[in-house]
Formats: sequence, structure tokens, C-alpha cells
Amino acid sequence: MKTSPFRIFFNTGAWAVLAFLLLPLLVVIPISLTDTSYIGLPKEHLSLQHYENYFSSAEWLGATWTSIWIGVAVAIAATVLGTAFSIGCWLISSRASTIARWVLIVPILVPPVVQSLGFYRFWVKLDLIDTYFGVILAHTLLALPYVSISVFTALANLDRRITQAARSLGASVWQTVISVIIPAIRPGMLTGGIFAFIVSFDEIVGVLFLTVRTVNTLPKQIWEGIQESIDPTIAAVATFLVVLSLIATAAVSLRKKTA
Amino acid sequence: MSNPILSIRNSVKRYGPVHALDHVDLDVAEGEFLTLLGPSGSGKTTLLTAIAGFTDLSEGSVSLRGRDITNEPPEHRDFGMVFQGYALFPTMTVRQNVGFPLKIRKRPASEIRARVDECLELVQMGAYADRMPSQLSGGQQQRIALARALSFKPQVLLLDEPLSALDKKLRADLQWELKALHDQLGVTFIYVTHDQDEALSMSDRIVILKDGKIQQSGIPDTLYNKPRTRFVADFLGKSNFLSVKVKSREGDHLECVAGEAAFPVDATGHSGTVGNSAEIALRPERIRLTEPGKEFLTGTVKQVSYLGERCQVLLTHSVLGQILVSCPTWKSGINPNPGLQLGFGWDADACVILEAE
Ligand SMILES: Nc1ncnc2c1ncn2[C@@H]1O[C@H](COP(=O)(O)OP(=O)(O)O)[C@@H](O)[C@H]1O
Ligand SMILES: [Mg+2]
Repeated sequence: MKTSPFRIFFNTGAWAVLAFLLLPLLVVIPISLTDTSYIGLPKEHLSLQHYENYFSSAEWLGATWTSIWIGVAVAIAATVLGTAFSIGCWLISSRASTIARWVLIVPILVPPVVQSLGFYRFWVKLDLIDTYFGVILAHTLLALPYVSISVFTALANLDRRITQAARSLGASVWQTVISVIIPAIRPGMLTGGIFAFIVSFDEIVGVLFLTVRTVNTLPKQIWEGIQESIDPTIAAVATFLVVLSLIATAAVSLRKKTA
Repeated sequence: MSNPILSIRNSVKRYGPVHALDHVDLDVAEGEFLTLLGPSGSGKTTLLTAIAGFTDLSEGSVSLRGRDITNEPPEHRDFGMVFQGYALFPTMTVRQNVGFPLKIRKRPASEIRARVDECLELVQMGAYADRMPSQLSGGQQQRIALARALSFKPQVLLLDEPLSALDKKLRADLQWELKALHDQLGVTFIYVTHDQDEALSMSDRIVILKDGKIQQSGIPDTLYNKPRTRFVADFLGKSNFLSVKVKSREGDHLECVAGEAAFPVDATGHSGTVGNSAEIALRPERIRLTEPGKEFLTGTVKQVSYLGERCQVLLTHSVLGQILVSCPTWKSGINPNPGLQLGFGWDADACVILEAE
């Protein structure tokens, strides 16, 4: 096969973009293994001391757990609400429900700072500042558009007459939703739930606005970590998260292949 | 009808300015195979879904054995339904699909098992119980949909163009099977189609719809041989249409003329008044072809098309214009070629006087 200059140009370009995306991510790995006590590349030998620090620090572990369980709670709440909303719109399928769909997706377009400011003003009134419930509620609202987009995509592939069939066979609307629609859109719900977890796990702006001392999530801990010190533990945490994401991605793609 | 299982009274369904149903009255007899026939957009699906409970009527009522069910939700009506797109539940096996209505009705598992087997046998799909719908062909999926709709012994089975997604050969096979199933089970079938052959071959009775109105209803033979309007005569099979004047009347026997051509017309049940004009439908297969002079009209062969069992001959006549004749190839006795002069004629009862639409 002949290699045209165009091909070479685009191939090089593609690799450059990939490197640009990946290198900052990969550079945390050597930093996390440094033997120094500040952020930098290893001087004399590799060391696991910062991992040790991460896994023995009550603060870091506490923040990790907090982020995980808030993420799980958000995933469950957003999946339940987003699925209910989407199925409702799908069943009604009028102009009003199309508008409702668009309105629900709008929050994706609003800058996070503006949104967080909005949350902050309301949460003060509702006395939800620095509560777990307040954070979960805010994250659920942020994650809802992602869940409903994912569930809508699954519903779009479903034959509408399936609902009519189920009802003519004696199932109420509720029974139809539970025993026919939900099993058919389960993959979409799962994707939506994973998205919701990631949105919450990753979220920092809202947390900074809405929490003080009680609630400490991992992004907030990292943020405060770089503010206060130049502790390489952050790099260890980051590496740990990258590895976790890789395992999760691999698991999901393997599941897709076998399914 | 003495004791109809279903009665639809004065039903109207409006979508904005469109009348999908326009004052339809219909009675369905217990155990009947009733077909709703009409071109696309004539309101067949609307009528069927109004019976099923998915379409809210703008006016009018539906009753089941005398009980008004107009406002009853579909799941309380106990009508099985079969769709063109099969609408099987994609995440359930064939067995779970067919057992679904029984499970919803909380029947014991052993009974469900036995009944599902019975229904799958009924549609000759016993060997496929553990497949997923996506592993079946279109015809097989439709058989499963049929088994599912019958498993709970519905009061009425509603079918909306169930065969139109299948190819011709399969469609013909399934027509026989559906008819046999109907005769075997005795369930009332309401069958929607736009295919006249399907309607003629399966139905006990056909209702012809156009623009949301019933044009005519009756047994296939009556609709075919005694169409009331030009629409019906044209939609069910082919017809020649002749504009004539009534010259004389003796009892039910009319003498009609078109130009210098004169011929007899049977007017049983019609008020053909002498001097009036009328429109007449004439089936191509009721016309006889002979040597010139042996029948009361003479025409010239314009075109011939050979259809295997039949032969279609297009004649031109000086006054009547083009006349389509269809004769069995095995006994026509004459060999029509374009340009040939032929005599043609028909019996008085071959003509049907049409009502103005
Ligand atoms: N949901 C709807 N909204 C607006 N118009 C409709 C709707 N359903 C049917 N119609 C109209 O009603 C008429 C009859 O439709 P339908 O009953 O589906 O006809 P068929 O099944 O005989 O093809 C058509 O003109 C169609 O456009
Ligand atoms: Mg239709």
C-alpha cells in the first residue's frame, strides 16, 4: 500500500493529539513513585511511600469512601428518577413531553459555576449546606440529564406497540413498565447509572460551594491538598483512580463483547 | 343481528379536521370472522384500536355483550391483539411471551406451562419454546404472537394487518392456518387488512371502509357480486363501468342503451326508472367472447395479457370504450390477437346498477 503525505500528516496528527491527552495523565505515575517528599520525578529509587501514606491516612481514605458512597447514592437516585421521567415522556409522547425532555437536558449547557451558585442560594434557604443529603441532591440534579439521554436512546429502539401488546394481554400500565419496558431498557439504565456515578465522583465546583467541614469528598481533598502542600500523595491517589478506571472500562467492554 | 358480542354505536374519532371515524355503526356476531377492509388511511386501525381501548372515541360507544365498555382500559377488556410488527417482548423467551397473559392473571405455574405447550402446538411452534424472539423468522414470530394472544382465551381476537410484513407464499400459507384456527377455536376474529384477496379468502363477513365511513358490509360473495357503489366494485376485484340510459322496464328486467348498443340488465332491488341514466358495473369474467355476430355487441381486440390460468383481453367498442374481459385459458376456444374482431355479451344478472356516491 502506498503511503500518501496526507496519510502521514493525519496519522502523526492523531498520535500527537493522543499524546497531548494521555501524557499529563501518565506523568502522575512516575511522580506517585517518587522517593522525594515534594512533587517531582524519582531521584534515586522508586518508592511506594506515598501509596502507603494514602492507604493509611484516615483523611484520604475517609474522603475516598465519602465520594464512593455519595456516587452510588447519586447513581441510584438519578437512575430511578431519570428512568421514571423518560418512560413517562415516552408513554405520553405528546408535544409537551418533547419540550419537557429538552428542558431536562438544558442543565448540561449551564456553566457549573452558575449552577453551583444557584444551588448555594437555595440550599442556604433549605438548610442543606454542608450536609450529605445536600450534596447528593445537587449531584443527582446534575446527573439527571445524562441518565435521561441514555434511557431515551434505549427507548427509541423499542417498538411502541409492545406497550399496546402488553396491555391488550391484561397488564396494567404499571405492570407493563415493570415487566416489559424496564427489562428491555436495562442496558441504557446501567450506562446512565455509571455516568451518574462518574458525574458525582468527579464533581468539585458544587462541593466547594455547598460544603464546609462535615462533608469531604475526594476531589475536594485533592484540591485542598494542592492548596496546602505539595504532597506527592495526590499523585498516588490519581494513579490509583486511573488504574481503577482502566479496570472498570475493561470490565464494561468485556461484558459488551460477551453479551 | 340477534345477540352481537360487540356493538359499536355512532363512533366518531376526530384528529383535528380529519375524521378518522365518521359515525360508524357495527355489530359483530359471536364466533364470526369479520374483516375490516379499506385502503390505507381509511380508519381501519383507528376502529380496531377503539375496540381494543387504545383510541378514545370523540363520540359514540363500544359495548361487549350489552355492557358499555367505552371507558374501560384495554387491560380489562380481555381482547387478544396481533400486530403487523409482531410486538413480541424482546427480553423474554417464546415460552415467557406466550405465558405472559397467564402470569399477569396469576395462574399457577403448572397450568401456565401446560397451556403454553398447548398454544405452541396450536401454531406448530412446539419446538421453539426456549428461543428468544430475535432468533425467529418473521413468520415464526407472528405465530408466537398469535399463540400469545390466544393463550388466555380472549373474548375477541383483534388482528391489525398481521400478514402484510410477510412474503407472498408465506402469507398464503398463514391465511389457511388462520382460517383453520378460527374454525377450530370458535373465537371471534376481527381482522384488519388492505388486501382484498386476504379479505375474500378468510372472512365470514367483510366491512369496507373509506374515509372513516362504512361503505358496505356483507358476506364476500355479496360484496363481490352485488357491490353497491363504484368504490366497492373497484376495490374488490376489477370491474368495467358503463354509463347507460334506461330504455324500458318489465318487472326487474331493464333494457339499457349506450349509444346504439342495447343490452339487458337485471335490476332486482333497484329503482331504475325509464329515461334515467345509470352507472353499471360489470365483472370482466362475466363477459363471453365469441365469433363476431354471435353476441349482441362487437369489439376489436386491443391488447391481450396471458396470466397462466386466465387470459385478459382488452376490447375497444365504438360507444362503450375499453372493456376488460377475463376468460379461462383452458376453454376460451377462440384465439384473441390484437386487431381481431370479436363478439361479446353477458347475462342480464352480470350487470350491477351502482348507487351514486
Ligand atoms: N394519532 C393520530 N394523529 C393524527 N391523525 C391520525 C392519528 N392516527 C390516525 N390518524 C389519521 O386518521 C386516518 C385513519 O388512520 P388509520 O386508522 O391509521 O388508517 P388505516 O389503518 O386504515 O390505514 C388517517 O387519515 C390518519 O392520518
Ligand atoms: Mg392501519
